Amino acid sequence: MNELEKIKEALRSSSAEKIVAFVRKENEPREVLAILSPNEIDRISFSPLSFNNPAKLLMQLNGKVAVVAKGCDAMAIKQLIKEGKLKRENLFIVGISCKGVADYRKLSKLVKLNEVTSVELEGDELVIKLKNGEKRVAFAEVVDENCVYCEHPTPVIYDVLIGEPREGKRDFSDVEEFEKLSREERWDYWISQFERCIRCHACRSVCPLCYCEECMVDPSNLAISPMSTAEDKASYPRLLGKTVNAKDNAIYHILRVLHHAGRCAGCGECERACPMELPLRKLERKLEKVVVETFGYDLNEDIPFLSKLDIVGD
Amino acid sequence: MIYEGDFLRDAISNLLAAGYRVFAPVKVGDFHIFREISSANEADFNYILPRNSAKVALFPQNEVLIEYGEWIEKIPIDKKKIAVVGIRACDAKAIKLLDKHFLEGFVDPYYKARREELLTIAIACDNASINCFCQSFGINPRKPEADVVVSNIDGKVFVSANSEAGKAFVREFKLRGESEEESMIRERFENEKIEMRKIDVDVEKLKKSFDSPYWKEVATNCKSCGLCTYLCPTCFCFDIYDEGERRGVRIRAWDSCQFPLHTLESSSHNPRSEKWQRLRNRFYDKFYYTLRKGDYYCVGCGRCIDYCPAGIDIVNVISGVR
Repeated sequence: MNELEKIKEALRSSSAEKIVAFVRKENEPREVLAILSPNEIDRISFSPLSFNNPAKLLMQLNGKVAVVAKGCDAMAIKQLIKEGKLKRENLFIVGISCKGVADYRKLSKLVKLNEVTSVELEGDELVIKLKNGEKRVAFAEVVDENCVYCEHPTPVIYDVLIGEPREGKRDFSDVEEFEKLSREERWDYWISQFERCIRCHACRSVCPLCYCEECMVDPSNLAISPMSTAEDKASYPRLLGKTVNAKDNAIYHILRVLHHAGRCAGCGECERACPMELPLRKLERKLEKVVVETFGYDLNEDIPFLSKLDIVGD
Repeated sequence: MIYEGDFLRDAISNLLAAGYRVFAPVKVGDFHIFREISSANEADFNYILPRNSAKVALFPQNEVLIEYGEWIEKIPIDKKKIAVVGIRACDAKAIKLLDKHFLEGFVDPYYKARREELLTIAIACDNASINCFCQSFGINPRKPEADVVVSNIDGKVFVSANSEAGKAFVREFKLRGESEEESMIRERFENEKIEMRKIDVDVEKLKKSFDSPYWKEVATNCKSCGLCTYLCPTCFCFDIYDEGERRGVRIRAWDSCQFPLHTLESSSHNPRSEKWQRLRNRFYDKFYYTLRKGDYYCVGCGRCIDYCPAGIDIVNVISGVR
């Protein structure tokens, strides 16, 4: 039985009313997330192009939900459980021992995407079946760079595990390499990246940990009621305007990332979503390194990072 | 007419020398972004579509409308001549749609000042990316509607001027006439369709489907970000706000109907508080509401499909309305 059949079988064994899983997008080889009912299990698909993180969708649903989760997806789910946004007993997690996902942008440079009929991993090779023939490439060439540094390819939380457990390792060599640059070089690098940002907020919107109903960059409106005066409304705090330039964008990205300290699950959705290809994971990984090395916190602990700081602090 | 040489690059040099602000695609990493350039070498024309559109030249993401102190001190309307170089037929059509919005009825003086001085130089397409569907809207990707059009056919650079401004501009270049055979080659090129996706728009069905549960289904995976609207060459929504208490600037900034705050009223009521309502609004705005301006506000560039993180596909969504 192949991976997909095992996933379907596992889902059939669950009593969940809703299923969050991947289905194939029309006209393209990638999968997209969908909320399905148990009688739609046959629509499910799974491949190295099932790169999205289903954790955010789970927060939209009530009742018992089954979900297909890769290593990073499960880590995001775990963070959301820790933070009280999801209930473990409501979830049936079909965990995938993940070999990494393919980088869609890299793939689109190798083949015309609408000619791809399927993509699967065979050993170290990605087999791309085309309408006319097939193409094989070393998976290392197209793997999402984020997956190379994955610490938890095997879900840290699951009900059924598909595939043999895989070892990940903690590796900050990429961050260490970047840290060798001088302060000025790093500043110049980031400013040249941030100046491209169009502040569409896709990074924030796809992030499973960015679930605030109101984001720090939006003008505060929580306290608005029909009784609020115009002056009250006009003077509500606004941390950041809508001006888009390298420095304002830097504030947006740095503040956003800081809110992920000890929380970021490392799925890389922010970077995949960015239409301007900002290297957002680099920021998150730097923060991860600080959290690990300076605060001694492990993402896989059962207590949230900030709560732990309260306990161990003076 | 035919130009022996790199017309686009030479055009940029001429425009810069003549004091134009020039917007052209710049290669960043391995993709292209439309931005203002200061030398012809910055531009690169090896693309099907840049990530963003030429909208940024006419309708910048941020713009100062008023500088104020105790009273209005300055209304900075920029009268500098602008050129957009290297646009495709879809983005050229989009400029015409922005014109309808900003110049018909209420005239936007900031937009008007830029538009009056705008020169458009387009490149004809000879192939399509996977999510192109401009032909569905009667756009001929091989024959963009711009002041000047450049077509690279069989290693030759064909240049045509379609307006007075375009004709005046190409007069400075040494162009030679086309031979009879070359004209035939160009015409054949222009009349050949490019294989691409098709969208099936049924306005009557849209009218009837406003309350359909379909929209909730389509929006399931929508993340409510502003990516689709910010990359869209025809989306024109903006917000106006002040920065600075006693002295400051009144700024116009792009806004997106996908953000919940876009429609939040000061009474605290929000007519589109749910993401499916906002998503539905985008599709109705593209294909129904804007018909009062006389056109669909979609040009089939496919950017919103290519980059939607949730995989929402305007062709499938509109073709599948029920």
